[in-house]
Amino acid sequence: MTSALDAILFEPPLPVPFDQAWAWQRQLQARLLRDPDGPEALLLLQHPPCYTLGRGASEGFLRFDPADPPAPLFRIDRGGEVTHHLPGQLVAYPVLALQRHGGDLHLYLRDLEGAVLEVLAALGLQGERQKGLTGVWLEGRKVAAIGVSARRWISQHGLALNVTCPLEGFSAIVPCGLRGHGVTRLSDWCPGITTAMVQILLCQALARRFGLGLRPPKPTELPWR
Amino acid sequence: MPALSSTMTEGKIVEWLKKPGDRVERGESVLVVESDKADMDVEAFQEGFLASVLLPSGGTAPVGETIGLIVETEAEIAAVQASAPAAPAMAAPVAPAPAEAPAPVAAAAPAAASAAPPAAVVMAVPAPVVTPVAGGRLVATPRARKLAAQLGVALESLRGSGPHGRIQAEDVERAAGQAASLPRVAEGTAPAVSAMPAPAGSANGSAAPAAVGKTFGNPGDTVAFNTLQAAVNRNMLASLAVPCFHVGYTISTDRLDAFAKTVKSKGVTMTALLAKAVGVVLARHPQVNASFSEAGMVYPPAINVAVAVAMDDGGLITPVLAAADRTDLYSLSRSWADLVARSRSKQLKPEEYSTGTFTLSNLGMYGVDRFDAILPPGTGAILAVAASRPAVVAGKDGSIAVKRQMQVNLTADHRVIYGTHAAAFLKDLAQLIETAPESLAL
Repeated sequence: MTSALDAILFEPPLPVPFDQAWAWQRQLQARLLRDPDGPEALLLLQHPPCYTLGRGASEGFLRFDPADPPAPLFRIDRGGEVTHHLPGQLVAYPVLALQRHGGDLHLYLRDLEGAVLEVLAALGLQGERQKGLTGVWLEGRKVAAIGVSARRWISQHGLALNVTCPLEGFSAIVPCGLRGHGVTRLSDWCPGITTAMVQILLCQALARRFGLGLRPPKPTELPWR
Repeated sequence: MPALSSTMTEGKIVEWLKKPGDRVERGESVLVVESDKADMDVEAFQEGFLASVLLPSGGTAPVGETIGLIVETEAEIAAVQASAPAAPAMAAPVAPAPAEAPAPVAAAAPAAASAAPPAAVVMAVPAPVVTPVAGGRLVATPRARKLAAQLGVALESLRGSGPHGRIQAEDVERAAGQAASLPRVAEGTAPAVSAMPAPAGSANGSAAPAAVGKTFGNPGDTVAFNTLQAAVNRNMLASLAVPCFHVGYTISTDRLDAFAKTVKSKGVTMTALLAKAVGVVLARHPQVNASFSEAGMVYPPAINVAVAVAMDDGGLITPVLAAADRTDLYSLSRSWADLVARSRSKQLKPEEYSTGTFTLSNLGMYGVDRFDAILPPGTGAILAVAASRPAVVAGKDGSIAVKRQMQVNLTADHRVIYGTHAAAFLKDLAQLIETAPESLAL
């Protein structure tokens, strides 16, 4: 058995503003670009309410005026259309050197889906993939959204899994630009579930899938220092 | 069009980052390609000039199609621009790497994974912790049932937020339109509350602690940890790997208490006074502000005093008073009030609760006469501060006096901080508090 890949795990206990978490990812990505043999990283956190648009996203999927959004709106450098983040939704941002993981962007998307499917299976739920639509679904409703980007095969962004978050904020957008598909959250399927429980499962699923030996950051590795 | 995946048949150009005529360095991003929900910055293999864009932003092309041309010299640009539109596929005349790649602009090919395939880490996934309510049977706590009867709420209409969907009292209250209590900092954790009494002896219960002990569940319940509690659990567990020891000291506080009274009206709290005192003394004892790392002893560039604050809905957070030794007492007090307010609404930024270099934990307001604290990861020491209480004290000259005294207890990582370091630090802290607390306002 090969040993696990060295990877730093960041789990801030309070919600992190989107732009801050984004800046950390770019910082971690830049580190890995400078030092291609350096450790990979995984950020597991929640955001205060916000909306994000992928690089090629259409504002036509917003049901509000982009100049006057109900929560902060960010146009960011990932694939995919608009999505919504808020507390009660767990986001995972792996900053990985994808060459160590097959060097295949589609495979990476399938791996992220696979990790979510594992989490759902551990909760006794059968999630689904939908052909041609990246993400994870429960009985036709989307429970996890995925959108990534890479620079020299080093990844940024990742997945957002709805756990206990209210779903009202999603009605202000057409999530991922898909009309006619509802969104759902795990607490509608597993009453009493908490983000803390799911965080442990998601962390383990991602670690196993990508062969990561996750460890806490050293003081010099904290992106906010 | 570069292949970003073995399953990719076509890609969309999201954006050209360079214009025709622009100079391109080796390894520089030239354009962004999207395939499915993934974007990839595509970089130039070698330096030159982007001569021509054959597929504009927003366009889609099959993998392998030429989407743009890079030439080696500026002089070649014009020639390419003249010929390229007419013969888009003719990359050969000027393409820098005609032999190997179909597209002159291609993504760095996935390097053969040098490491072996990702290791399968053996880690058991816990059995499902949560299952939906079985068989439609109504599960509610006794308190919830009682409340529901009192408030006239139909239990059947509720979704339980407890384990296994059990209906909790809070669910009933919420349904009855009673505002669910917002998370806030525990009243009892007085360092968190700006209008904090001096660590006055309140062992007789005259102070404000809630009449009933705090609980997060009802008898018979198993209540899941919230995010903050889970984070505390991780940190506490991590401390088991640290060889800690404890050193205690008794400090007379009559003078500090008197000084605290005089500055209370200026918004100065006991928390700020203690943080300032600790900061000033740490500046003279950098070893006690240091922490362990594999590379050696880490001496932080600043003295950041974190203060533990319990959250009313569980867990605790350690807001940080940055540069406590250099910041004046009044600014520290204002910062503390602001940090506590934002702790309540969980709006602290990571750097505001994770950059402490030394931690203070105060249970004095409960009349606790001594306790010890668990060391937060990444730091070398934490000071547990107990209540100040009147005591009969014998002086060195044989005189007897009644003085207010508090016990403090330092938990330290012995890999970095030794008994003598701890003792010298505590002696200095005691001396400052006993003989010159007024200097804290300077």
